[in-house]
Amino acid sequence: MAKDVNLTCRLCGHKHRLIRLAPGERALCARCGTVMATEGRFGPEAALVFSITGLILALPAALLPFVIAGKLGDERVCRLFTGVGALWDNGMRALAVLVFLCGALLPVALLGAIALLHVPARLKWHAVDIPSLSRTVHLLEHWAFPEVQVLAVLVALMKLGDLVDLTVGPGFWCYCAMAVCLVLAQRSFDFELCDPSPVPCGTDAAP
Amino acid sequence: MNLRFSPARLRSNSTAAALAVAAAVMLVPANLLPVLNTETSGYSRSDTIFSGTVELWRQGLWVIATIVFTASICIPLLKLAGLGWLLLCVRQGGPRDSRRLTRTFAVVDFVGRWSMLDVFLAAFLTGLVQFGEFSSVQARSGIVAFAAAVVLTVLATQAFDPRVLWPAPAKASPNTSRL
Repeated sequence: MAKDVNLTCRLCGHKHRLIRLAPGERALCARCGTVMATEGRFGPEAALVFSITGLILALPAALLPFVIAGKLGDERVCRLFTGVGALWDNGMRALAVLVFLCGALLPVALLGAIALLHVPARLKWHAVDIPSLSRTVHLLEHWAFPEVQVLAVLVALMKLGDLVDLTVGPGFWCYCAMAVCLVLAQRSFDFELCDPSPVPCGTDAAP
Repeated sequence: MNLRFSPARLRSNSTAAALAVAAAVMLVPANLLPVLNTETSGYSRSDTIFSGTVELWRQGLWVIATIVFTASICIPLLKLAGLGWLLLCVRQGGPRDSRRLTRTFAVVDFVGRWSMLDVFLAAFLTGLVQFGEFSSVQARSGIVAFAAAVVLTVLATQAFDPRVLWPAPAKASPNTSRL
């Protein structure tokens, strides 16, 4: 899959010719040493598979109970958006929107964007504006924090230990799985598709 | 060594500097105002980020206390210090260890997201613990200031152009190095 494009280091701007990487190999910038690309261990379809799996898991993660808390016979079911709703009702609407965006909407949007980048390539369909979509993926990566939300819930569960009786629900496990799928999809992301500013250059240096 | 940069790059770093200063300002109310109010069986307690961490430590939850302290106090401060150092290096010009500075930027860029831990924690606790007079948790204004500081630091990192740490555009390398 030779591509006549350059790969530009996003940190130092150094340009490199593309090379073919073996599974598990990483390409480092010759100037600043930044990891520029990683060839996933799960094969060329991995990013598409993980992103679609993540999108499927997002639905039960949003609908099923995250945590069920009990106190003196009273029971409260907490779902993904319960905290958002509580902040909204408290009058902290900007904070509620931020939590909703970073913890729910943008991770799903990122999964969707990664899937959209790979589906047209697989179908050899050129209707999608790949450079724009690649820039969207790079932007979303800075604002999608599902793994931080997972850690926050775990910290909350340990913190609440004696205060209330807690049962972890299936929604939380689906959300964890979705977060793992997102990380794996990003790691398996085909960098040749995502270079935002490909420049024509010389021959491919594939071994 | 050519150390002249395009006005666009310098402008982007001015934006980064302004956002970093705004984030530093927001960290003051974020650390002084209470972030959570907990009511248990008629007993009410308001905690700032630091007092909440100390309370976790006192309860013997050392791992959680360390995680919260690192994510909510250390990371925002280190991130701002790192960005400040990078911006100072760019402003001073002259020869510099560009490779080390680029790695510093990569670390600053990577760790920033974990500061959102306290924001997600406050949202989750506010949603979950609502048992009326027996037990309830409410988010307080400090968490809004803290979230603003986190958003501003992320924006500052995005505005910073790390290519300005390097002297001049380099010629295309034959290929990347492998690992």
